Amino acid sequence: MTARKTELPPFERRGLTDEQLVAMLRTMVMQRTLENRGFQLNRQGKIPFASASEGHEGVQAGAAMAFARGKDILVPYYRDLGLELGIGLTPFEVLLSLFARAADHSAGRQFPHHYASRRLGLHTISSVIAAQLPHAVGAAYTLQYRNERDRAVLTTFGDGATSEGEWHESLNFAAVHALPIVFLCENNEWAISTPLSKQMGQPDVYKRAAGYGMPGSVVDGMDPIACYAAVGEALARARSGGGPTLVEAKCYRFLSHTTDDDDRTYRSRDEVAARRKADPVPCFERFLIEHGVLTAEAAEALKRSVLEEANDATDRAEAMAYPAAQDLYERVYAERWDPWL
Amino acid sequence: MASTDVSTPTLQRHGLSDEQLRAIFRNMLLQRQLDNRGFQLNRQGKVPFALGSEGHEALQAGAAMAFNRGRDILAPYYRDLGLCLGIGLSPYEILLSIFARAADHNGGRQFPNHYSSKAAGLMSFSSILAAHLPHAVGAAYAIKYRGEKGRAVLATCGDGTTSEGEWHESMNFVSVHKLPFVMLVENNEWAISTPLDKQMAEPQIWKRAAGYGMPGRRFNGFDPIETYAAVKEAMDRARDGGGPTLVEGTCYRYLAHSTDDNDMTYRTREAVTERRKQDPVPAFEAVLLEHGIVSSADVNEMRQSVLRETNEATDTAEAQPYPEPSDLYTHVYEGAWQPWQS
Repeated sequence: MTARKTELPPFERRGLTDEQLVAMLRTMVMQRTLENRGFQLNRQGKIPFASASEGHEGVQAGAAMAFARGKDILVPYYRDLGLELGIGLTPFEVLLSLFARAADHSAGRQFPHHYASRRLGLHTISSVIAAQLPHAVGAAYTLQYRNERDRAVLTTFGDGATSEGEWHESLNFAAVHALPIVFLCENNEWAISTPLSKQMGQPDVYKRAAGYGMPGSVVDGMDPIACYAAVGEALARARSGGGPTLVEAKCYRFLSHTTDDDDRTYRSRDEVAARRKADPVPCFERFLIEHGVLTAEAAEALKRSVLEEANDATDRAEAMAYPAAQDLYERVYAERWDPWL
Repeated sequence: MASTDVSTPTLQRHGLSDEQLRAIFRNMLLQRQLDNRGFQLNRQGKVPFALGSEGHEALQAGAAMAFNRGRDILAPYYRDLGLCLGIGLSPYEILLSIFARAADHNGGRQFPNHYSSKAAGLMSFSSILAAHLPHAVGAAYAIKYRGEKGRAVLATCGDGTTSEGEWHESMNFVSVHKLPFVMLVENNEWAISTPLDKQMAEPQIWKRAAGYGMPGRRFNGFDPIETYAAVKEAMDRARDGGGPTLVEGTCYRYLAHSTDDNDMTYRTREAVTERRKQDPVPAFEAVLLEHGIVSSADVNEMRQSVLRETNEATDTAEAQPYPEPSDLYTHVYEGAWQPWQS
């Protein structure tokens, strides 16, 4: 694998306003802040687990900006904090999930970081790799079956998921039926400890699209504007009846797989440090300042406001109650069932 | 779907001797005869089930000729009568399976047409689509792991199987590990009643190879010599450590899926009749006659010998006893286990 370039290309707005560009930066900064918060809280012994999406901020903020809130459906994987924030999930909702509190959408009973929100069109998340894809395809099939025009499904996964049978079956089915769905691969080169070279025979996931008879595209996942454009084009095609697309965003996973993983056992610090040069968060901040989209002062204010919001969400979520033990079976069956009674 | 080219196969030998070409043709005649025999016996109420591979004769006879007996491993699917005959299974063994007799390799306990033979390097079949592929990949992995040079696994499947997750996982794994493996897809355009355009959006399966980072190739599966050349090239590469290949042979399924299927509920007689014009068995006969590889007398003699052999095998197999009810668990666990005797 060749290392990615560290500078973003010449400024092309792709129709994005200053306000939208700043919103993307804010999502990226919030994502980074909440990721760190998750790891901090875990190391403090306050939460059992957190996963990390550092390095995915660019692709996720860009893709979220292409998502039509209130119309589209998002079926993400577990490393998609920025996508979820970008479509409207609040930091408080994120922290309720991490703290596993009763007020969480899944009542504190789901795995941390596995959000769900009917309000936002956000499907519940699967820990099982690629298990979300048949569900996503089912949602897309429903849109087509009901003839609901102008809606599409955006589903995401990492490079490791592309080796799963469900991945193949989902792409094939979506292609046969020309379903309104976009398959977004966030290729960060690591499937927990498995490097790309042990995951697939050739490293470009998008090249598989031709075999399914669907368009495929590849984009620099460190570039949020390019990701917005690529995902936006694919979603627009899906919404207008043009069928599915496979989009591959090349990014990198800067942190360990989760708080339960130590990546020093399988990759060198040098590799990670070299890739840090392309860190999308400071790169995009610099880029927007250079092109006069926001001032350095405004960027500092944005970061302060993000930190305040993250702190406030942390304090409020931590103060909430855990689910009661007797609620264990709620939301499991249609009717309440207490097996001990 | 555009029809496959109807042109007569040209005689590029690809190194095949007259004797080998005649063996290919005899295999094709024998397949056709045994396929018909299976359907006849089923309609006579003598066997419960039979599968038809009519239309696959050229593909299978050609591929079998590229298989190294005693070295390679064959992991076929259930429509591979000609491949099994071509690597050395006898008509008698075929009929033992169809009649479900005790002398069958599987003790008459496997599904009909699901052969296996350790001597021939023939892995046991699965009725479950694509379930045999991870096993085939495992066999290829074992060959590589043990450093055994000059051996490869030939695995086959139909077009329907390419939609299964196991197909993908198998293709991906062999490409990552550069295993000595050839994936031969026999694309007959029908997955039971599902036509190709409801099975995949891109009808050229070989194009998926690039996505796995392996070579891919498509050939006319009605031409046994072209098939031989394509499969041999792939098998040679696999045996030499060059990794896996995806080869797709185009053919057609002339009969219903099996004796339990009525294809007139989902396709027209006219469509089948149209494709019959390409029937590989008379087409290859004409090629061999035209090039003087066989005479008309040879062909007649071959037909009679194939019929005689089939009749003999039928009578001998039918006369064999069924397995004993007390043998029910014999091939299930190592050693005898009879759950009704505690």
